Amino acid sequence: MSRIASAALAAALTLGIGSGAALAATDIEMFFPVPVEGKLAKEMKNLMDRFNAEHPDIKATAVYTGSYDETNIKTRAAIKAGRPPAAVIMSANFVLEYQINGEIQPLDPLIQADGQTPDAFMGKFWPALHGNARFAGKVWAAPFHNSTPLLYFNADHFKAAGLDPNNPPKTWAEWVDAAKKLTVRDGDTVKRYGLMLPGNYDYLGWVMTALTMSNGGLYYNPEFGGEVFYDTPSMLGALTLVDNMAHKYKVMPDGVTDGKAVSTAFFAGQASMVVLSTGSLSFIRQNMKDNYGVAFVPRNLRNAVAIGGASLIMPKGLSDERRQASWTLIKWLTSPEISGHWSRFTGYFAPNKGAYELPEMKTFIAENPDAKVALDQLQYAQSWFATYNTVAVRKALEDEVQAVIAGKKKPAEALKAAQAKADDIMRPYVEQTALNLPN
Amino acid sequence: MVAEIEARVGLPTVLARRSAGRRSQLGRAALLLAPSLVFLAAFTYWPIGQVIGQALTIETFGSDTVGYGLGNFERLLADASFGRALLNNLVYALGTIVPSIAIALALAVGLQDATRFNAGLRTVVFFPVLLPLVAAAALFLFVFLPGIGLLDYYLARLGAGSTNWLGDPDIALWSLIGLTVWKNAGYYMLFFLAGLQAIPLDLYEAARLEGAGAWGRFRRITLPLLGPTLAFVLVIALVNVITQVDHVVVLTKGGPSDSTNLLLFYIYQQAHENYDYGKAAAATVLSVAGLLALSLLSLRTLERGIHYEA
Repeated sequence: MSRIASAALAAALTLGIGSGAALAATDIEMFFPVPVEGKLAKEMKNLMDRFNAEHPDIKATAVYTGSYDETNIKTRAAIKAGRPPAAVIMSANFVLEYQINGEIQPLDPLIQADGQTPDAFMGKFWPALHGNARFAGKVWAAPFHNSTPLLYFNADHFKAAGLDPNNPPKTWAEWVDAAKKLTVRDGDTVKRYGLMLPGNYDYLGWVMTALTMSNGGLYYNPEFGGEVFYDTPSMLGALTLVDNMAHKYKVMPDGVTDGKAVSTAFFAGQASMVVLSTGSLSFIRQNMKDNYGVAFVPRNLRNAVAIGGASLIMPKGLSDERRQASWTLIKWLTSPEISGHWSRFTGYFAPNKGAYELPEMKTFIAENPDAKVALDQLQYAQSWFATYNTVAVRKALEDEVQAVIAGKKKPAEALKAAQAKADDIMRPYVEQTALNLPN
Repeated sequence: MVAEIEARVGLPTVLARRSAGRRSQLGRAALLLAPSLVFLAAFTYWPIGQVIGQALTIETFGSDTVGYGLGNFERLLADASFGRALLNNLVYALGTIVPSIAIALALAVGLQDATRFNAGLRTVVFFPVLLPLVAAAALFLFVFLPGIGLLDYYLARLGAGSTNWLGDPDIALWSLIGLTVWKNAGYYMLFFLAGLQAIPLDLYEAARLEGAGAWGRFRRITLPLLGPTLAFVLVIALVNVITQVDHVVVLTKGGPSDSTNLLLFYIYQQAHENYDYGKAAAATVLSVAGLLALSLLSLRTLERGIHYEA
């Protein structure tokens, strides 16, 4: 169909009869993940219908490709098979790997063809999002929806424990103090935990990034994908805090708690404070019966968290028409209006700063002060950790942190093991880059 | 002389005619088999060949695929996570196969009489089989929730405290084992029920006349005559142990700290998380070889002691 269409188009152009009305639309596919199934996938279809109605020369189809990780796998498979999708909504910390492997194309030529500078293009997005989108001297991705970890707390529990819900904990000292006061015990058994952290793979790595960054750490080298800083004082402090919460103060469950179990416990009033994504804001707003509040992730040395979420990327090997059509779609999806609409629908914040200048967004923020806290924390946000083989390098740390939370290992030995394993995984890349020296 | 000539000339012609006949017969057979052979070759033998090829090559960053001999197997055996997955899979195999077969056998013997009550109970026991494993795992996410989940809710009534069923590395694998036994026992029961139908009733009558008790009848008649069924169920159960990891994917992703990682999920991780196709292929070759060997062994040894006729 598309081949016939482009052949017809080519024929029309050579005959010089290519008028304004396109003979046939350019078919493009976009892969997209949905962290929460159902509603979001349906809304994405609505967006595509709207895009296609506004752009009669393009026929865009959104292909639902599962979770972030599954989307990564399917995209890679499609690229390997030589049939890349025209655009992908990709977890922001996987973009680096596609650049390292030379599988995506820089957006700079398309930006410049529009008469824009890359600086001006990136200037539309919040500064915290730049690191995962523009690196190695080029723009590789356009941020689509983003998040940061946030401290959610049960305001009713706060009041009952003599804490002020309008003044949630800001430092680690206040955090520990609050967690102790909020924990309810009956002899040796805990009836209610002061704090719960999601400990499943992926979520745990993100939470540890936030804690380490709040402790002055970097977690990874943002300039070089072959280095992580696991065996460091900043990470040791963060992991010791987690260990103490579980085993010294006993205000957090021993053993790993899945992210879904964390939100369920929070709704059931069995956890008074939880750290979850800002992307869960809508979900919690709709399901929480008690009064709740949100706050920044508490700091030890500084306020800092890593961003999360996804960006739009464009694989290499697209025809000119498809590349142009894909670029039109990417620009449309990241425009202030669509960005704001998607943000209000999902709870993710809108990466395009312009979205917050629109009247409907101003009303929304005024009505939902929790969304404003998420937005305010953005000025302290940093890039999300991305390395060669990100998932495996992340898991190297997560396995060890899980062992600490389960009381199987002490923080110092766990971090040494994590560092060794991560270095091992990144070695092939390091040998080809930082250790690739002139003879 | 003529006969001699005839014989000399005729023999080869007859032979030739006969072999031509055989050839055309072979040709017809090949023609008839071709459709299934083509599919078998394309979707089974070719991929097997590819996996073996992949296991013997390596693709490192910045270089093309190169031959690697048995290097992938060496790296695999040196990987602590592989050792952990292998050990987990052994524990998982013993922990699921033995109880689920024992329960299935007990249920089949207990529910073999076709009363209406038994039919109802059979349906209840068979129900978990109807659920896809993914759906069952998603349900058990809420059964296993510490403190609030169904399991802890009822255990609390009995005075037990809350347990982190999936988050404690010492317990998580056993939680998955429990789910698997619940899921599979009803399925195996079905085979045993069918096997029981084939045992002639006069054997039991004779045994009763000889004064054999219930246990004696079970041990001397039922169990030996269920031999072929048992061998079959054992192989099915072994295959399930290696090929079903939906619950690992849904519930734990192999965690905490690799404590629920099973071979197939390990292979998935190597291929799709670490992009280490050589290691993934090596692990695939080893697990399939192990599975084949085990299936052959169990069929052989069980068959030796099997009475196929009553």
